[in-house]
Amino acid sequence: MSRRLEPITQPVTFELDGESITAQAGESVAAAFVAAGRSTLSRSIKYHRPRGPYCFSGGCAQCLVRVDGVPNQYACQVPARAGLRVERQNAFPDASVDVLQATDLVFSKWFNHHEFLAGVPIVEKVMLQVARKLAGLGLLPEQPAPARAPALVEQVPVALVGGGAAGLAAARALSERGVDFTLFEREGRCGGRLRIGADDGAPPITLPARGAVRTGATVVGLFADEGPPCLAVVQAERLHLVFYQRLLLANGGQPTLLTFPNNELPGIFAGRAVSRLIRDHRILPGERLAIVGEPDECRALARLVASAGGTPVAVGASPVRAHGLRRVDALTVSLDGREERHACDAVALCTPASPAFELARAAGARVAYSPRARLFVVEADAHGRATPSTWVAGELRGPMSASASAEQGLVAANALADDALKGATP
Amino acid sequence: MSKALLCPCEDVTTSEVEHAIAKGSCDLESVKRFTGFGTGMCQGKQCLTAVARFLEEKVPLKAAQVLPFTPRPPLFPTELSHLASASFDPAVAPAGGVPPSLGLTEGALVPEGRVPERAKIVIIGGGIMGLALAWNLAERGETDVVVLERGYLCAGASGRNGGGVRMQWGTPTLIHLARRSIELMGRFARDLGINVWLRQGGYLFLAKSEAVVAKLERSAALHNKHGVPTQILTADAARDVVPQLSMVGVKAAAWNPLDGVIFPWPFLWGYAQAAKKRGVRVETFTRVTGFEQSQGRVRKVVTDRGDIACDTVVLAAGAWSPAVAALAGVRLPNEPHRHEICSSEPLKPFLGPLVSVLDSGLYFSQSMRGELVGGMGDPKEPAGMNLGSTRRFLTRYAQALTEQLPQLGRIKILRQWSGPYDVTPDNSPVLGPTPGLPNLLQLNGFVGHGFMMAPAVAERMAAWMASGASDELFERFTLQRFAEGRLEREDMIIG
Repeated sequence: MSRRLEPITQPVTFELDGESITAQAGESVAAAFVAAGRSTLSRSIKYHRPRGPYCFSGGCAQCLVRVDGVPNQYACQVPARAGLRVERQNAFPDASVDVLQATDLVFSKWFNHHEFLAGVPIVEKVMLQVARKLAGLGLLPEQPAPARAPALVEQVPVALVGGGAAGLAAARALSERGVDFTLFEREGRCGGRLRIGADDGAPPITLPARGAVRTGATVVGLFADEGPPCLAVVQAERLHLVFYQRLLLANGGQPTLLTFPNNELPGIFAGRAVSRLIRDHRILPGERLAIVGEPDECRALARLVASAGGTPVAVGASPVRAHGLRRVDALTVSLDGREERHACDAVALCTPASPAFELARAAGARVAYSPRARLFVVEADAHGRATPSTWVAGELRGPMSASASAEQGLVAANALADDALKGATP
Repeated sequence: MSKALLCPCEDVTTSEVEHAIAKGSCDLESVKRFTGFGTGMCQGKQCLTAVARFLEEKVPLKAAQVLPFTPRPPLFPTELSHLASASFDPAVAPAGGVPPSLGLTEGALVPEGRVPERAKIVIIGGGIMGLALAWNLAERGETDVVVLERGYLCAGASGRNGGGVRMQWGTPTLIHLARRSIELMGRFARDLGINVWLRQGGYLFLAKSEAVVAKLERSAALHNKHGVPTQILTADAARDVVPQLSMVGVKAAAWNPLDGVIFPWPFLWGYAQAAKKRGVRVETFTRVTGFEQSQGRVRKVVTDRGDIACDTVVLAAGAWSPAVAALAGVRLPNEPHRHEICSSEPLKPFLGPLVSVLDSGLYFSQSMRGELVGGMGDPKEPAGMNLGSTRRFLTRYAQALTEQLPQLGRIKILRQWSGPYDVTPDNSPVLGPTPGLPNLLQLNGFVGHGFMMAPAVAERMAAWMASGASDELFERFTLQRFAEGRLEREDMIIG
C-alpha cells in the first residue's frame, strides 16, 4: 500500500464524506487521500466505475469532488486545509458501495444510448426520466459566488506561458537579453518536470534574475476579439486580461491514457503523477509498482521508485490488462512477445506528454499529427517561431527530455529577443 | 466489467468507438459527436490522443487525415463569476474570435472516388433540412437523391444549436409547423430508430419591459387561438416554475409547458442512416463549386468530386445558402449572423424549462446530460460568416446568466462555440422555386429556428415536390416575395 516517506510535520484535518483525513498542510486533497491508503475518490458518469486520482496535474478529471459545496473540483488542485468539507459525487448510496455500478455489469462492453429502447412505447418515456435522474455530475451550489474584484486589464510586451524546463530556460534567456516579460505558471511553484519528473539528468531549477514570474496563474484562453490578442488568466480568484505583443508558449502537455481493459482502475497513475507524489509530496503510492509504457521514462521512474524503497516490476513492458475490483491488484503485460501477470498495488503509465496545443492553435499556429510520436504537435520553424508573434518550445513540439526542452526554450527566447530588439511590430 | 476506456470523463470505451466507426464516422469531429468523447470535464486533454491513435489503427487513416477536433475555449473549466467580472463595450461591434477558421477545408478528408454522375434530385446541405427532406422523399418512393455536405454531419448550424423546440411563435404558420415538428420529434425514435431525448420541460419567456410584455400577451392570445396552451404569468408565478430565478425587473412571463429541448445531433444521423438505407446517397466532405445552366434551368451541380447531372436542385445550406446561390448567379437576401453559445459542467437536474429573457436575448436550458447550454444574441453582431468564439460573449452571457440565476456563479463553463443564423429581412424562411431558375428550389432562411421547424417543413416539401399539389408554404414564402415587397414578418426571435 501507499506510505509517506516523511512524517507529517504540519498536520491539518479535513472531512471526506464525514471521515477525517490528516494531511500535510498545503498538499493537495488527492495526495492526502492516496497517502491515507484510500483508492475510490469518485464514480464515473455512466457506469459508476470506481475512479481514483490519475494525473495529479488538473487535467484528467478522475478526481472530481465537491468541496465546501462547490461541485466538480479537482482534488489534486485543492490544497488541504483544516475544516475543508470534501464530498464524493455520483455515488449511491456511497462511493465504496455504489448500487449503480450494476450498469457496469449489465452493459458489459458499452451502453448504446443512441439505440437503447429507442421507440419502445411507454418504456422510452420511463427511460427518459431515469436517464435524466442519472445524468449530470455534482449539485447546483446553494450559494452565489462571492463578490469578485473587477477583471484587471494588463499590457505586457512578452507573455510566457509555462514555467517548466522550457519556460524557465526561456525566461532566463529573456532576462539576460534585457527583454521584459511576464511568465504565467499554473502550479504554485515553477519547475514542471524539473521539480516533479523522474529524469535524473535534468538541469536544476533556476529562476530568471529579472522579469515577472506569476505562479498559480491559469491561462484559460487566448482571445483576439478586442483588437490585439489577449490571454485570459485566472490568478488568486481574479480574472486578468493580459494583452501582449509577443507570446512564448512552453506549456507542455498532459499525460494521456494507454488503452487496455481496466486502464482506469484506482491505483493506476500517470507516470509523472508517481514521480510527483514521490518528489513533491514524499508519498510512495504503492510498494510494488508496475511501471509500463515508454521505455526511457519507465527506467527513470523505476530508479526513483527503487530509491524511495518501492519495488518496480514489469519495467518498460506494454500493458495488456489490469486486474482488480476496487483497485488494481495485478497487471498483465506483454514483454518480448510473452504475456506475464504481475501482482502489484499500483501501476504507473509512462507516456510522453500529449501536447497542450490549444493555446498555440488559438494563436494561429499549425497543429499536425506526428506519425512517429503518434501525438498532435505544434509546428514551428527551427527557431521555434510558429506565427509572426508566437514562439513555441518544449513538449508542445513533441516528446523530448527536460534538457532538450530547456535547449528549445533558449533558442525560442533568443529568436524572440532578436525580433523584439529589432523594434519591429510583430 | 473489463472495459478499455478511451475517454474516462464520459465513459467512452473502445467498443463504442468501434461502433461509431462501423456507423461511418472516420474523423475525430464525427467520432466526438457520435460517442461524446472529449465533451466532458477535461475537454479532450486526456482522451484526444488515445482516440486519434485508435482511429488511426482501426479505420485506418493516413497521418494527414488524423485531424484534431477544434479546441474550444476556455482551456480549463472557468467559473461564470470570473467571466462576469470583466467588462465589454456595448457600443462596439464584436469582431474576430478563435479559432480563426472552421477547419473544414482540410483536403485530407475528401473521400476518394467521384460523386454519382446523375441523380434526379440533388440536395445541397447535409444539415437537418436537407437530410430530413431526403428521408421524406425516400419515404415517398423517391430515392434517386444525392445529398452534398461540405463537412462532416453536424458541422453546420444543425450541429451547433441549443436544441430548443417551442410552439411559442408570432405567426400561425410557424405555430402550426412547430407543433407538427414537436409531434414528429416525439415519435422520431419509433420512426427512425435513434433516441433524440425530447424533454418537454416547457419554455419560460421573461419580459422586463412593457413592450415585451405586450408582445408576449399578443402572441399568447394567438397561441391559445391555435390550440397552444401558453399562459401569461406574473413574476411570482414564474418563480414557482424555476424557484432559483431572480425576478428583479421581471414584469411578466409567458409559459408553455409543451415546449422543450432535444439533442440535435441524432436527428441528422437518424435521417441520414434511414435515407441511405432506402438508397439515398449522402456525400460528406464534398463541396459545391458551381452550376451548369442552360435554357433557364440548372443542368448540373459541379463539385470538387465531379459533376452531377440532375432534374432538380434543392438549396438547403442554411447560412451558407447565399454563397452557394451566388454560384448560380442568384442573389438571396439572407445574411449569416454569428450566434455564440456555450456549455457548462454537467450538473444533476434542477432546471426544467428553457428560460429566455426576450429583452436581452439571453436563453439557457439544462440538457439531458446535465449541462447548462445557453447563449445570448448580440445586437451589435455584424453580418458575415464568422464562427469564432469571443471573450466578449463569455462576459455578456456570464453577467446576464448570473444576474438571472445567482446560484450559478461558481458553475464553470467548459466550452464555447458559435453557429450562424441564416437571417432574412422579415425573419421568415425562403421556400420554393427561384425566379428565373424554376428547378432550383430554396429551403433556407430559417433565422436560427430551422432545426425545430425541419421535420415538419421537410414533410410538407417532400409532399409538395412529389405530388405537385399546391401548398401555401411554397407560394407565400418564395424568394419572389422580397422583389414584390410582400414580407411575412415574424417577431418572436430570440437574440
